Amino acid sequence: MTGAAAVVRKDLMLLWRHRSGWLSAGTFATMSVLTYSFAFDLVTDDVRPLLPGVLWVTFLFAGIIACSRSFADEVEQGTFDAMLLAPIPRTSLYVGKVVANLVALLSIELAVMVMATILFNTTLLTVELAAIVAVGTAGYVTLTTLLATLGTRVRSREVLLPVLALPLLVPLLIAGVRATGGVLDVPSGDGPWLLLLVVFTIWSAAGSALLFPLVVEQ
Amino acid sequence: MTAAPAIEVRGLSKRYGASTVLNAVDLELAPGSKTALVGANGAGKSTLLAILSTLVVPNDGRARIAGFDVQREGVEVRRRIGVLSHRPMLYEDLTPLENLLFFSALYRVPGAHARAEAFLRLLGLWSRRAEPVSVLSRGYHQRLGIARALIHSPEVLLLDEPETGLDGEGMELLDGLMLHERSFTVLAATHRVDRVEGWADAVVRVSHGRLDIDGGRPRTATMAG
Repeated sequence: MTGAAAVVRKDLMLLWRHRSGWLSAGTFATMSVLTYSFAFDLVTDDVRPLLPGVLWVTFLFAGIIACSRSFADEVEQGTFDAMLLAPIPRTSLYVGKVVANLVALLSIELAVMVMATILFNTTLLTVELAAIVAVGTAGYVTLTTLLATLGTRVRSREVLLPVLALPLLVPLLIAGVRATGGVLDVPSGDGPWLLLLVVFTIWSAAGSALLFPLVVEQ
Repeated sequence: MTAAPAIEVRGLSKRYGASTVLNAVDLELAPGSKTALVGANGAGKSTLLAILSTLVVPNDGRARIAGFDVQREGVEVRRRIGVLSHRPMLYEDLTPLENLLFFSALYRVPGAHARAEAFLRLLGLWSRRAEPVSVLSRGYHQRLGIARALIHSPEVLLLDEPETGLDGEGMELLDGLMLHERSFTVLAATHRVDRVEGWADAVVRVSHGRLDIDGGRPRTATMAG
């Protein structure tokens, strides 16, 4: 796992130095929550039933923006091939990329939750909700990181990622929204939503790690 | 017992749709030899190098580097090769030193910092080690690309149009390295035969996916198209 650690360290260093990709994801998330807060204020006093949807749609689109950038720069500079030339299992590269994306996205999501707590006057910073968000984020980051790799050889990669990712992420989105609703005391049905979220994340992580070496071969 | 050829290619073919880029080529290079691959754009030079560097999977045939199969033993092959292409493959927001330390970590190079420093001094980049690569000239990028390709002391060096973007001093450095360094085998794709005449043991012409010995002293390279 030395290779994965080196990739994580390098990616976090690059995120810090070259902030445009993550700033655009963060700006989108901020604007999204801010817009929803103005819109819902006009029509309802109790915004809690709307909050799970607001949060997960914001997380998902911010994640897709951010993950697409994480490979775009590598491809433009030719460094993706340089990493593939290294004598480490290609799964290590994938793990490194996933961990770096996860750290950055969780940071954005924490900021969104703090902002939503203030704007919607509802406590969102609870251990239960943090756990649901962390598991759901791991689920969609593992999948979008793989799908972003698929687009590395394609000219229209910016379009390809959402087209591929969003249909596949529907189960995660439903489970995330329902599980979050449950924590916020919103009627969410009796389904095992957290279990579905965990199963999706395990399926996504295992499947993507196995597929990554095949996806990067030409 | 004789040592395994540095590069051994048997019946290698690669097709993209209806287009055959490599057509059942054979090639064998002895350890320490230096061979140039010359040919027009699209002749198959870069594809052959990409297969040898494990980035592209062939349709038929097999290739070995230092006795290791490029398809089945990719990690062992990648440990033994260095690749320098027309793109330097560097992180533009990292400094030269950070780039070399990152690739050293991927290759688990012992004494990475000292080795990176030695390369940066040799290539005239030590004084600019703390500046982002993005502010350096194209010539410096290619010099740093040479260091990246050699940081792990590869047994086989695969060069794809290495002269592209090198300034005069960089070309002299590369030529000097090719002429005097015998610790690795070199297979270099190039458009310019004049660039390799000084150091190539053999020149192999690639045309329509086939290989032909074109000149030089073919004792180190045997081939059949």
